[in-house]
Amino acid sequence: MNSERLRHFKTNVLIFLSVLGPGIITANVDNDAGGIYTYSVAGAHFGYTLLWSLIPITVALVVVQEMVARMGVITGKGLADLIREEYGFRITFWLMVLLLLADLGNTISEFAGLASGMSVFGVNRYISVPLGALLVWLLVVKGTYRLVEKIFLVACLFYVAYLISGFLAHPNWGFALLSTVKPTVQFDSAYLYMIIGLVGTTIAPWMQFYLQSAVVEKGIKLKNYVQSRLDVIIGCIITDVVAFFIIVACAATIYASGHRQINDAADAAVALAPLAGRAASALFAFGLCNASLFSACILPLATAYYVCEGLGFESGINKRPHEAPAFYTLYTGLIVLGALAVLILSESRQVPIILLSQVANGIILPFVLIFMLRLCNREDLMGPYRNSRTFNIIAWLTSVVMIVLTLLLGVALFLPSYRP
Amino acid sequence: MIYFSELENLPTYDARGEYLGHLVDLAINPSQNALLVVCYIVRTPKKQIRCIGREQISTISVRAVQTSVSAEEIPDSAPDEGLMRVKKDVLDQQIIDVNDQKVVRVIDVDFDIQPNEKHTDLRIVAVNVGAAAAMRRLLQGLLAKHRIRMIASVLPTKTIPWEFVNLIESDPARRVKLRISYNRLAQLHPADLADILEELSRDEQRSVIESLDDETAAEAVSEIPTRMQVALLNSLSAGRAADIVEEMAPDEAADVLQELSPETSAQVLANMETEEANEVRELLGFEENTAGGLMTTEFPVVLETGTVEDAVRTLRSFTGPIESVHSVYLIATNLALSGDVSLARILVSDRGTSLRELSTEPLISVPFHADERTVVSMFRKYNLLSLPVVDDNGRLLGVVTADDVLELVIKEK
Repeated sequence: MNSERLRHFKTNVLIFLSVLGPGIITANVDNDAGGIYTYSVAGAHFGYTLLWSLIPITVALVVVQEMVARMGVITGKGLADLIREEYGFRITFWLMVLLLLADLGNTISEFAGLASGMSVFGVNRYISVPLGALLVWLLVVKGTYRLVEKIFLVACLFYVAYLISGFLAHPNWGFALLSTVKPTVQFDSAYLYMIIGLVGTTIAPWMQFYLQSAVVEKGIKLKNYVQSRLDVIIGCIITDVVAFFIIVACAATIYASGHRQINDAADAAVALAPLAGRAASALFAFGLCNASLFSACILPLATAYYVCEGLGFESGINKRPHEAPAFYTLYTGLIVLGALAVLILSESRQVPIILLSQVANGIILPFVLIFMLRLCNREDLMGPYRNSRTFNIIAWLTSVVMIVLTLLLGVALFLPSYRP
Repeated sequence: MIYFSELENLPTYDARGEYLGHLVDLAINPSQNALLVVCYIVRTPKKQIRCIGREQISTISVRAVQTSVSAEEIPDSAPDEGLMRVKKDVLDQQIIDVNDQKVVRVIDVDFDIQPNEKHTDLRIVAVNVGAAAAMRRLLQGLLAKHRIRMIASVLPTKTIPWEFVNLIESDPARRVKLRISYNRLAQLHPADLADILEELSRDEQRSVIESLDDETAAEAVSEIPTRMQVALLNSLSAGRAADIVEEMAPDEAADVLQELSPETSAQVLANMETEEANEVRELLGFEENTAGGLMTTEFPVVLETGTVEDAVRTLRSFTGPIESVHSVYLIATNLALSGDVSLARILVSDRGTSLRELSTEPLISVPFHADERTVVSMFRKYNLLSLPVVDDNGRLLGVVTADDVLELVIKEK
């Protein structure tokens, strides 16, 4: 009887774990090298004054992510599938081309993050990047599903490094918490540009595709949707809690010191050392390496998945390379190109590629948001689970704000005079 | 040959040469003729949707559709819901290629133009999934049609003849109307059918499974990954799920039920025949990663005093999956395992031979609480095809077969 009860407990925990996952993993990939850099700069340049933006960003993230998770559960299809079925081949094709471009840029910045994170520990990038790329590639192609899942969950736990380094920085907690709930808007262009950057790095197009596919892949059923929604909400909160601690750590040290210029996320780690101690610095750099490697694992994989899904190629790790050539080419190609770009190109040469990928991201995001909203309102698709009127108002408002901010970011990218 | 990407948006004119609208879709009535386009759906400049019958079409070319009637003669009605629409139901949708046993997404649809005495017909020929079709869709409307054909002609084409196309429709009412059946899938090997199922969304899987007979469904479900099995069984009614689980081998049935939530699992068990349900319940009592969790309870068993004739009789009346039977097991009157006679020996021996003489020596068995690794290593060491499982008193409980062990070994990789 006792063992039976134990087994019941085990199955319950398993069901819980099997539902929990997509939202949390998506959230952690979201805090990748680019994200950590943006948060570091926000803290280093503006101290605690941008913390308030995390609350509306979390709300927007929850609204957007909840919709895709719901679509995944109800339709059992990926977002790329739904867009292809609804909007046809041509739109899907160009969307996928742009996404591929955007994700190539993201993959490059993951490997760049790995290189700079490892350089804090004195590891040369010609060693860290090829090794990292090989590890990532082998893990997914040769590893078993269970092993991969375990490693991912462990990687998620390592984000705690940022929480600890935040504490080690001895911030003024009272002031930090006050700044989080009390908005202070400055109307200078640098400040606004930073807000746009924060929003852009937190809500990205690839996440919507990844989350919906992950929900479908998990086979989450309607009955468990409540848990799944909780998973999404927890994930969004985790994203921004990590962001909060990064901003706080940089605000309490780098901003307070007055030397506020940092060029990449590893700079922030180095700058922490004299101010918050070597442990905080090492944890920060370790967090960066973990995040970069983790995202470098998931991004190319997710990209290969949804591009194949949208264009109708065979995909899946359970297939052999000759059965799903497009899938393996895309996956391997993204990793190889991403790693090569970091090894071969100087930093100034990487900038145009990353810029291009941000532009691609910016072009796709409005389309993805509008497609999502329209799909989520389709009765034949969503039945009683389509958006309610109230939810629609919130979702459209969020989307419009997101689109306007993205357009502003585009303007800022191309008109450097508006840039700080 | 004309492609849907060329037909879409063609201007349509009436008998007097006046513009009616542009072609938005083509409809087929599967209950009459599975190939013939019966209705040409046109959107008028006033954004009305009109359905032009096939008898009213006089010519079709890559430039225009010409009708033989005046605008007033065309009824002002939208097309019937029971028609299969090329753009809505086929284009960009997933279909099953029954010949290649694959799920593919349609990029373009090929038609034949067939001029008759009075009118012209379009006949659906194939669906197109190759690079050439993709290029046509990308360039559609941007370049002149003959240029698109020129560019596409250098790219590889891949077509699936319409007769091998199985549409997927998850709405049962619509499936009946469109005469979509999955009968052809039932003839595939269960493993191939399982590969197809894996490519489909949950609702689509359900719709395929619902239309298959219990045995075929059970065979296919046995082959798909556990996570998918769980999602699929959850989406079926408890009664239907029970019918399918009943047809599965008891060890596989137990594995799935173990993964279902306790309530669903109980519901499914309650809906199963008592005998099968009891077998599965018994197995559910064993720890998952032990010999007991691996074994099946369906195996041929004969009293140790029996002869080859008794063994043959038992085998003939055996109701479990006969393909995975490799031995007939002998038991004493106290149910203890006393022998293991391979089928080959039974086959080559005289009917009157005592089974005890034919039994493999020494007798190999495993206690139910032995862990998976022990079981695997025994299979490896003794080159077994099946291994009897016993309780602490030596009573025969079940049999682990090679196929389950193979699966374990592959999973461990």
